[in-house]
Amino acid sequence: MSESWAVDAPLMVTLVIALALFFDFTNGFHDTANSMATPIATGALKPKVAVSIAAVLNLVGAFLSTEVARTISGGLIREGNGGIQITPQMIFAGLIGAIVWNLATWLFGLPSSSSHALFGGLVGAVIVGAGFGAINPTVLVDKIVLPALLAPLIACSVAFLATKLALAITSGPNAQQNRARFRYGQTFTASLVSLAHGTNDAQKTMGIVTLTLIAAGFQASGSGPAFWVIAVCALAIALGTYVGGWRIIRTLGTGITQITPAQGFAAEAATSAAILASSHLGFALSTTQVASGSVIGAGLGWNRSSVRWRVAGRIAMAWLITLPTAAVVAAVAELVARLGFWGVVVDVCAVTGVSIAMFARSRRHRVDAASVAPGTRDVAAPMRDAASIGASSHRARRPQSAARGTVRTR
Amino acid sequence: MIDWAAFALVATVSLVGATLLVGFASLGIRLLGGESPHSFGVRAGAIASFSVCVIGVAFGVYLLVPTFN
Repeated sequence: MSESWAVDAPLMVTLVIALALFFDFTNGFHDTANSMATPIATGALKPKVAVSIAAVLNLVGAFLSTEVARTISGGLIREGNGGIQITPQMIFAGLIGAIVWNLATWLFGLPSSSSHALFGGLVGAVIVGAGFGAINPTVLVDKIVLPALLAPLIACSVAFLATKLALAITSGPNAQQNRARFRYGQTFTASLVSLAHGTNDAQKTMGIVTLTLIAAGFQASGSGPAFWVIAVCALAIALGTYVGGWRIIRTLGTGITQITPAQGFAAEAATSAAILASSHLGFALSTTQVASGSVIGAGLGWNRSSVRWRVAGRIAMAWLITLPTAAVVAAVAELVARLGFWGVVVDVCAVTGVSIAMFARSRRHRVDAASVAPGTRDVAAPMRDAASIGASSHRARRPQSAARGTVRTR
Repeated sequence: MIDWAAFALVATVSLVGATLLVGFASLGIRLLGGESPHSFGVRAGAIASFSVCVIGVAFGVYLLVPTFN
């Protein structure tokens, strides 16, 4: 293949920035559920109000914290001196893997870690581009695999105990009315989780854009993100958050278990405590995995039989395959991109086509702000999501009167 | 090697933080919704409990904003 067919640097950098911002957007709508699924489920916040608060706090959080990572992969890939140079093209392919995984899990209503998808994508692209030797397997186990098991475990145990505690203290006369007051507290804890997300997640994209600009020679080595980079990354994640991944909100708020205000408050307290502790004490945990674990713990703390293990099992399965699946998609994208200019064009068309196709699929079985509001709950729906894809006649939204009967009244 | 000490610390701090927040919020709610919500002592206790929660959340915000650290 002649050099003239290769994609020139400015074009590749532009493509990486465009894909990075789209990834940032999917990151936002994937993770709205982490903070806002439980307050929406209990009626503490109206769905649109909840996503607006989350969007604003993500925007603010992104501007507050602009310290970006010095390496793209955090040691997962042997980068820099003595290692390999991660090229913009590998980042391009890695982002394709991460975006496809984020959209697919959203379509199935499954919460899954955007960071893991991104790491998976980078790993896949780097293996094709530089071989297996470029991957650091011990870092992979210590930073991805084990934390993925430990995060839900910590969150689940803490939320379980916190729920038991809340129920024990508020038991007695007027228990039901009293416990409804936890709704007021939910607004604060959920907002704290949102702010934590904003100060953490937008930096991933800022880091990628900045390191790509440095690698291409458009920015001095070692310099921080430019203002326009901070601004567009903050806006992309806030917009994604506002759009709201309603499918995932439904799974976390009513799919795993039907959350009550006391449980919601306990779950959010556990999520905030675990995320703050993990980010300040040097043991990184995924927000998504913590939030999901907290919801399961809150369900167990109320009543062991209230947890739908089939839904929880599907989520766990998704976590297990996040990294390898994103890696395979990215590896294919990198293989195609290596063909040169037309390979990159094929990749761009493919990721655009897949995104449009998934969006079109989602329209057949719509889940929106109206379908997650209390009173219109379709509690069995998350179980059917996967099955109903392809069954175009199926409608998720039942008449309100029919759905009311399924709302737990305890 | 995985840093088990850091993990144990994170687990302990998460547990203590969450139970303190939930415990005091529950206490405040219990006091306000109890037999004599209007007596001075009960109201003061409830306000003190909720204040602990507000301080807890404010401390969380403090930790999140890098310029404070």
